This record gives sequence, C-alpha cells and structure tokens, in this order.
Amino acid sequence: MQTLHFEDRIELDSAASAQFMPMHLLLDAEGRAISYGPTLARVLQADAVPGARFEDLFEVRSPGGAVTIGQVLARGGNRFRLLPRNGLRVGLRGLGQSLSGSGRILLNLSFGIDLIAAVRDLALTDADFAATDLAMELLYMAEANAAVTRELRGLNLRLEGARMAAEEEAMTDPLTGLRNRRAADLVLERLCAARAAFGLLHMDLDFFKAVNDTLGHAAGDFVLSNVGRILREQLRAEDCAARIGGDEFVVILAGRTEPKMLQMIAERIIARISQPMEFEGQICKVSASIGIVRSLDLAVPDPVQLLAAADRALYAAKHAGRSRAVLLVTRGE
Amino acid sequence: MRDNLAAETVLGSDMDALLLRSLQGYVIDTFGAARWQMVCRRAELSILSFEPMLRYDPGSADRIGRIAAEVLGRPVEAIWEDVGTHLVTNPDREGIRRLLRFGGVTFADFLYSLEDLPGRARLAMPDLELPDVTVDEVGEDRFELRCQSHLGATQRVLVGLLTAMADDYGALCLIEAESADCTSILVLDRRHAKARRFDLAPPER
Repeated sequence: MQTLHFEDRIELDSAASAQFMPMHLLLDAEGRAISYGPTLARVLQADAVPGARFEDLFEVRSPGGAVTIGQVLARGGNRFRLLPRNGLRVGLRGLGQSLSGSGRILLNLSFGIDLIAAVRDLALTDADFAATDLAMELLYMAEANAAVTRELRGLNLRLEGARMAAEEEAMTDPLTGLRNRRAADLVLERLCAARAAFGLLHMDLDFFKAVNDTLGHAAGDFVLSNVGRILREQLRAEDCAARIGGDEFVVILAGRTEPKMLQMIAERIIARISQPMEFEGQICKVSASIGIVRSLDLAVPDPVQLLAAADRALYAAKHAGRSRAVLLVTRGE
Repeated sequence: MRDNLAAETVLGSDMDALLLRSLQGYVIDTFGAARWQMVCRRAELSILSFEPMLRYDPGSADRIGRIAAEVLGRPVEAIWEDVGTHLVTNPDREGIRRLLRFGGVTFADFLYSLEDLPGRARLAMPDLELPDVTVDEVGEDRFELRCQSHLGATQRVLVGLLTAMADDYGALCLIEAESADCTSILVLDRRHAKARRFDLAPPER
C-alpha cells in the first residue's frame, strides 16, 4: 500500500476557512465546538455558541445508533447525515476527520437536496456558498425547470383550446349555428350504442325552393338561419338539432318518447316556422313537414334504420298535405 | 454537409420561436393586441400567436420583425433592442430576469455567465439550441461579446437585454453593436445605482 506524503501542510486561517468551507465545524477532541463556518452558524442560529456539544447541536440520522461525534466517526468511516436540533427541517450531509496532532475534529457539511428549502427558510445569498459550490446551478435548474413546465402546461392548454375550437367548428353548420350532419350521426350512434330512449324528428322545409328562386339565395340563407334560431329556442340543451342537407334538418330529443309530447313539440316548431319572415322588405313564407320516430320502436336501435324510418314518416307528412307532423310507429320491424 | 444543414435548421427554428414569442409579447404589451394582429395580417400568417416551444422556419423572426417595423413605423434594430429590454423588465416575465441574475453577484460575473447560457438552457430543455456566446475582457471594464446567429435580431435583442440587466445590477454601461456578431460593453460605473433586489429563493406564487 502506498502512502501519500504532502510536503506542504494545509493551513487556513479563519477567514480563508470561512471562504473555503462556509459550513465547517471545528470541534475539540471531546466534541465541543471551537468554531463555526458562517453559513453553518446561520443554520444553527442561537445554538451556534463556542463549547456547545456536537450531540446537543445535531441529531445523527446515519450512521444509525451513533450519538456523539466519536461514535459517528468510528461507525461511519467519515461520512454522515445530520439533522439540526433547532427544528429547522433541513438535512445536512457531511464529512469528518480527526486532525493529527491536536486531536481536534473538522467537519464539513452541505445541504444536499434540502438546499432549496434552506435558501428559502434562511434567506441565504450567493455569499453564503463557496465559489466552488454548485448551489447556484441547482437553484438555477430548479427555477428553469419550473419555468419550462409552466410554459409546457400553458402550451398544452392552448393546444387543447384550439383542438376543442376546431372540433366544435367541424361539428357546426356555420349558416344556422346548428350541428352538422357529422355531429348528428355521432350523437345518433352514441345514443343507439347506449340503447338510450329518444325521439327523432326529420324535418324538411316546405316552399323553400320558391323563396330561393323568387327572392334569391340571400333570402334563402336568411330563412335557414331563422329556422336555426327557432330550433335553438324550442329545444333543451340536451337535445341536438342539426342541418343535414340544404333545407333538411334532424332533431334528436333526448329521453322523449311520449307520442303526444313528440307530436306537440313538432307542431310547435312547424307553427313557429310558418310565421311569415321579413327579409329586406319582402315577406318569405315557408312551412315545414316533420316525420317522427322513436328509438323504442326498433328492437335494436340503429342509426341507419331510424333515419330511414324517419324519412318514411316525413314522406307521409308531405303526402298528407305538408305543414304537418306524422309519427311513424315501426314496431315489429 | 447534409448533417450540418439539419443542425442549422434545428438551431434556427428554436431561436426563431423564442424571438417571435418575445416580439409578440412586446408588441401586445406596448402597442396593444390590434397592432399585433395588423403585423400578423400583413405577414400573411394563418396564426395570431407564436408558441415558444414550437418551431418555425429559420429566418422567420427577422422577416416578421421587418414587418413589425413597418407597422410600428420604427427602425427594426430599435424594435429588437426594446424586445430585449422588455424581456427583462416586464413583470410577467420576472422568471427570465431571475434566471439571468443567477449568473453572478456582479455585472462582470453576469457577463461571463452568458457563455454558460446555452449549457444552462440545455439542463432545463435538452434539445434547446441557443447560439454560442463568448465574452472577452479586452481592457479594464471593457468587454466584447460575440454571438453567431443566423438571425440579425439576436444581436439587437442581446443589446437590449444587456442594457436592462446592467440597470438591474446598478451598473452604468455603454453597450453598442460593433459588427454583425460583436457587441462592445464599456462599464463606466460599476456602482452607479443600487442593484435591484435579488433573493435566491423564488418568490411565492
């Protein structure tokens, strides 16, 4: 085994040792404090007095079972973990060595990961750390990481907002503000898969082509957006109204299967739509025919079959003279 | 050659995103959202907001900067310098000032710490590429900062940022763009004013 020989003994006066080791503790051979580094003195506060015993200053966390500094050094080689007894919740790690000759014991401590709490609780500044200490880098990294995380969370929220807006847009008919065909299909699929009870209205405007042909497309668009407003006013939030084609609409009435109730809602819609609408001084007169089906009337609810049945009901309503609603009972299909 | 080009593209787009977001913040805070929308419209952008964490075409920060200069009726160099100052002084971006103040106790320490900035940034975001910075002390209280960036805006933002940080440290400085990649800093008075307070512990949120 090789022995290292130092030609020079290291001598540090108190000012230099304060700079090189601001968290050192010099003990006499019996474990009583001779001097404290300035940062350790800030940690120990009122406890940092000359002559204080090591075991009164610190609770030893490791090596286990050790209480005095003699036991610490004997059991743990020269590494140990301590907790100050003054109640500060800051763990300390350290290294200790008996000095040859005087028998004094030099401990040098550091905060480890509790650095951030120590800086906050003790209002430490960069002057409290040795120039070689990586404390600044650790504090910097903690803040930089927090900033990046905040920025990413913000980005996620903004992207999620944009995604929801895009989805909303993809589901909306811009002219009427109602849902579109795609949205109605999704709602129907979802309700059928859940075997939910609901009423389905399939509505087609009457005399709409005449308005378009005689008063122009702007008048037609005006009528359509009016119909959108009427449907929104007549329905509850849980219902779904969609424009699925030129002047073709679908209304899904969640939980409504009572024939009289469905008939009444449909007739109320027709009555509202049949009221004359004024567009740039011209009167537009349209009406509506509605076919009604109920999800209960199919043994296994299926969007395609329901829409086909509603279409047949609508055809019957048109055939019976328009401006009316016909409920088709399809039990047994 | 191909690899170099790819590296350039990655490097460029990070800086473009950071500068574009900073420009956006400066224009909105100083001149209002309507002016920023004018910039976006004139630039024929499909978006009204840049994301610092996304990537944009290399060179786009300089392009949008020139358009902002037209809209605001001010030289583009002055606008980018103001963006740099705004980054440090704007209370919403206190985090940036704090991160920069971790660079050192004095303004000179801070200047040298700029050399570490790309490395420090990579600690937080491993794939973030900031341009390399070198700082030389060329005489007593005279420094030269060199930074090679594909964006002309980078140097002007640095000038504005350094001016604001000198203020933060209480130092009186003359900071000038010497050439495209060199900025000179002459410290006239290291303790011209009281430095702004800086606690190592982050403020409570």
